[in-house]
Amino acid sequence: MLSPSKQFEAIGAPWQIDTAQPLSAEADAAIAARIDDFDRTYSRFRHDSLVSTIARTPDTYRFPPDAPPLFELYRRLYTATQGAMSPLVGHALEELGYDRTYSLQPSAARTRVPQWHEALSWDGNELTTHTPALLDVGAAGKGYLVDLVAEVLREHGVDASTVDASGDILHRGDADLRVALEHPRDTSKAIGVVSIRDQALCASAPNRRAWAGLHHILDARTGLPTDRIIATWAIAATALEADGLATALFFAEPTALVAEFDFQWVRMFSTGRVEYSPDLNGELFV
Amino acid sequence: MRSLSDNKTATALFAGATLVGTLSACSAPAPATGTDASTPDAAAPVTSGDYADGTYTEAGNYTSPNGAEQVDVTLTLASNVITDVAVVGFGESPNSKQFQGEFIGGIAADVVGKNIDELSVDKVAGSSLTSGGFNKAVAAIKADALAE
Repeated sequence: MLSPSKQFEAIGAPWQIDTAQPLSAEADAAIAARIDDFDRTYSRFRHDSLVSTIARTPDTYRFPPDAPPLFELYRRLYTATQGAMSPLVGHALEELGYDRTYSLQPSAARTRVPQWHEALSWDGNELTTHTPALLDVGAAGKGYLVDLVAEVLREHGVDASTVDASGDILHRGDADLRVALEHPRDTSKAIGVVSIRDQALCASAPNRRAWAGLHHILDARTGLPTDRIIATWAIAATALEADGLATALFFAEPTALVAEFDFQWVRMFSTGRVEYSPDLNGELFV
Repeated sequence: MRSLSDNKTATALFAGATLVGTLSACSAPAPATGTDASTPDAAAPVTSGDYADGTYTEAGNYTSPNGAEQVDVTLTLASNVITDVAVVGFGESPNSKQFQGEFIGGIAADVVGKNIDELSVDKVAGSSLTSGGFNKAVAAIKADALAE
């Protein structure tokens, strides 16, 4: 049984890493460095990040070696959701008030979110922007960072671990991890329990990042928050995929995503109705 | 969005279920926007014939190896276009639940929340907790709103 061994805040959320033994100082430092590296590349909330640099000047930019899986997943989900899930919503989020200073004050401006081909070319190593594009990788980035932190743990000899970045959980090991699915309208309650083992479970819901009747999950086709689905969960081999799929479930029919990805899912509609995949390893409280 | 006619769910239903009443009048496969869509799909073609706008619910019955089974289909029609489809299965046996689940890509149901502190779980998965700046910003906006 793993026990809580390390809690901290990173990229705007609380994290907890459970391991059988306390982490070494070296592993601790390596995790902090990995997270900082990621943040300096992908955060639109810091002025000195690569993403912020890109937003200022259209050009061709070389990304670090961790970029290809992230951009490739985004590209696949962009296609599977018919353009609804896009890394190009950064500017729209800023206009709605979800900006670097958390102004949370929607502006009157509503700029259309550009389509992928209008704004971006990704050749596998380099990203070329054709317009000043503010990238937001919030729909899959935290899950991906969870995978990368687990990789750091493995490099330091820690094979069994649970990395929980608040809503994005990666389990490594051979014992089941039982996870409650939090009710988005009453966070003291769960709508079900699932078990994962050597898998990732990512949840997505707008209930905590909401302001002025708005929230942070935008349909890139309208530039506005989506309101049909109020919570999603996805279980996949990696937290990158699970996190991205949890967001995609707000926009695409699960059947369209299951054709492309191997994953289990649950989604809750604003009406209170819940749907889940036939192979879900768990129970819902119906 | 797919049309009803090439939707796995609907294909299975039209092939395997006897739909009676209003729905049986729809001899031509009618277009739909998928399940539980909240907005009409502007691209959906219009069928011939006129149907009154509204929501129609019909029970479909079929015989499985476990005996008689039922699915309820609810359609919303607007200007002869199906704008919403909901399919609910009532199969009681584990097999029926499984097969109906496969038809509809998951079983629709209303859930009843259970208190998390009464469950035996290792973790809770919900939306990301917020920290620091976001919480302060929300608190500041609430304070401003109260002061106005």
